[in-house]
Amino acid sequence: MDFELDNEQRLILESVERLLVEHAGPARAIELQREGAYDGELDTALRASGFDRLAENPAPRWLETALVAIAIARAAGVTAFTAGRFVLPGATGGRFVFGDAVLALVDAQRPGPVRYATAADVAVVLDADRVRCFDLGPGAVRPVRSNYGFPIGVIDFASAREKPALEIDADDLRRFWRLGLVLETVGAMSGALETTVAYLKERRQFGRPLGSFQAVQHRLAECAIAVEGSRWLALEAAHGGAPAEASAVAASFAIEAAERVFADTHQLSGAIGFTHEHDLHVWSMRLQALRLELGGLSAHSREVARLRWGFA
Amino acid sequence: MEFNWSREDTLHRERVREFLTERLPGDWESISKGGPGSDAQAAFSRDFCASLAERGWLTAHWPSEYGGRDAPAWWHSILGEELWAIGEPRGPQYMNVNWIGPAIMRFGDAEQKARYLPPIAAGQQLWCQGFSEPDAGSDLAALRTRATLDGDAYVVLGTKIWTSYANHADHCFLLVRSDSDSKRQRGISVLLVPMNLPGIEVREIPSVVGDRYFHEVFFDSVRVPSSCLLGPEHRGWDVVLYALQYERVGAARYARAARTLDRLAELAQERGQASDPLVAEKLGRARALCEAARILTYRVIDERAKQRPPSSLTQIARVAGTRADAAIGALSLEIMGTEGLEYGSFADANFRLSMTAGVAVGATEVQLNLIAARFLELPRD
Repeated sequence: MDFELDNEQRLILESVERLLVEHAGPARAIELQREGAYDGELDTALRASGFDRLAENPAPRWLETALVAIAIARAAGVTAFTAGRFVLPGATGGRFVFGDAVLALVDAQRPGPVRYATAADVAVVLDADRVRCFDLGPGAVRPVRSNYGFPIGVIDFASAREKPALEIDADDLRRFWRLGLVLETVGAMSGALETTVAYLKERRQFGRPLGSFQAVQHRLAECAIAVEGSRWLALEAAHGGAPAEASAVAASFAIEAAERVFADTHQLSGAIGFTHEHDLHVWSMRLQALRLELGGLSAHSREVARLRWGFA
Repeated sequence: MEFNWSREDTLHRERVREFLTERLPGDWESISKGGPGSDAQAAFSRDFCASLAERGWLTAHWPSEYGGRDAPAWWHSILGEELWAIGEPRGPQYMNVNWIGPAIMRFGDAEQKARYLPPIAAGQQLWCQGFSEPDAGSDLAALRTRATLDGDAYVVLGTKIWTSYANHADHCFLLVRSDSDSKRQRGISVLLVPMNLPGIEVREIPSVVGDRYFHEVFFDSVRVPSSCLLGPEHRGWDVVLYALQYERVGAARYARAARTLDRLAELAQERGQASDPLVAEKLGRARALCEAARILTYRVIDERAKQRPPSSLTQIARVAGTRADAAIGALSLEIMGTEGLEYGSFADANFRLSMTAGVAVGATEVQLNLIAARFLELPRD
């Protein structure tokens, strides 16, 4: 057991964070969101750094990839890094079967717009027990306006071309997707909480900083517990290569945490928290989108019960 | 970062499990039902801890000069997890090896170390913790039990309350106000008090948590030899802070909660709830709470194993553990229905044990205050 970063992990994180200061951050996210745009430049920068291939075989580094995914989400990066650089390599034993293509993950059982579909080259569709992949040519995706922090679109599978069958196991895809969701959730919760704590240290009402009121402090402390619990469950699961049960446990805890962090950061930030001029929404609104994927809290929690105790 | 157990750690856990299978009597489940402070468990602990000590496991994590084996701090957690999971056969003695012993090592003089540590390491002694008072609960620094130096003894006058294990204890780790002019944290001292001194009276406080759970301890001008003073006079608060850091994550309550939850899931299935998605969801969420408490506690043990200064991660782990405990207590009643209302039934025993989690070792609100101040660095109230 060792909960501290080793030297190499520290170097990776420092480099990625430096890169993110330059290529991501809330201001850039807000600017991109205005057009529903995707951050191809961020992807290019990540590719140039080499840190987008940490999950490549023969020795895929899930934990380091997870640390990078969390850092990107905390910097509000508008990139499908987690899908393409963590989830799909996870489901294929560390292969990058679609090269540098931008991926959209689709849950066949839950219709509706898909995160990053508007920028995606390939849709990876998880059905009950199989995985199908589609090339998304021009006209295959209809962009949809959304306030939830991600570029999203509806995929018309009639105009998408199915790729030759690849041996991707549905359960492997599902467990890595679940854990990928947790990584993005942890990063977004961290961003939301940090920005709220910073604001409440400064914002004065009744002659004192709002953050000095105990009623406020306790809620923020509860959020911190929720975020830290999610973070360490996620890192432990990533280290183990996303075991199904540990990934579902992490998802159950993190998605419940996300509900709390969303509600409390907004409540405590007051009206300014709803505006585009304040950064909170960049992370908080994403939490709502992440909360819905793969069936949400209920599905993650039932998956825990199924795997641990054999519930239906 | 490394989240796998080392080979030695895994072997140690296996050895502990084998030992437990061998050593625990057939009626252990009924012995353990009353919690670590029950008569049955306190009595059992004297035998059980002695046999742990024989194997060198009771205090494996202590330095060898004090009867330990210089084993990694993790061994103590592994032992704690395995023992708490089955209902803590060390009884009250888990406190001894977790924080009372280490506090004596850190602050005791040579004579005290020689007197107190060997019996603790041999699993022969029960201690209780004389901290809370009628007017000093969460606000521990308001304590008023007075100790006045008179020749070679302190004369102790006052009342301690909520004292678990006081009815069985051989010694009390007692906080007193040794400087009567002092305020708050200054002027507090620690006395290691034999419980058989004249003038000490222990009375049970009947409660819904269970029989013989809480006690009041009255000190009526008890003469405590001055050689019982632990650490510098009037500077006992430093000792308390040191001890509390260990205490707050000392009990692997999450391991007990997780084991209880496994049993509860079995019971739910036996009662025909295996296809009820709501029950599955609640059980799954409760499992996630246990797991979060576990990993956050490990985070603290990692700090301790590396001898880093204690941080507010301790409070984070503590509150997470409390949440898991409370959720599983409530879920026990929910799943077992009105059967759980019978005293001593599975659900009842779990529920009652879970009730104190948010209050013991400093109320949750105090922990949240500390997280706000130290972890989030929010301005003072």
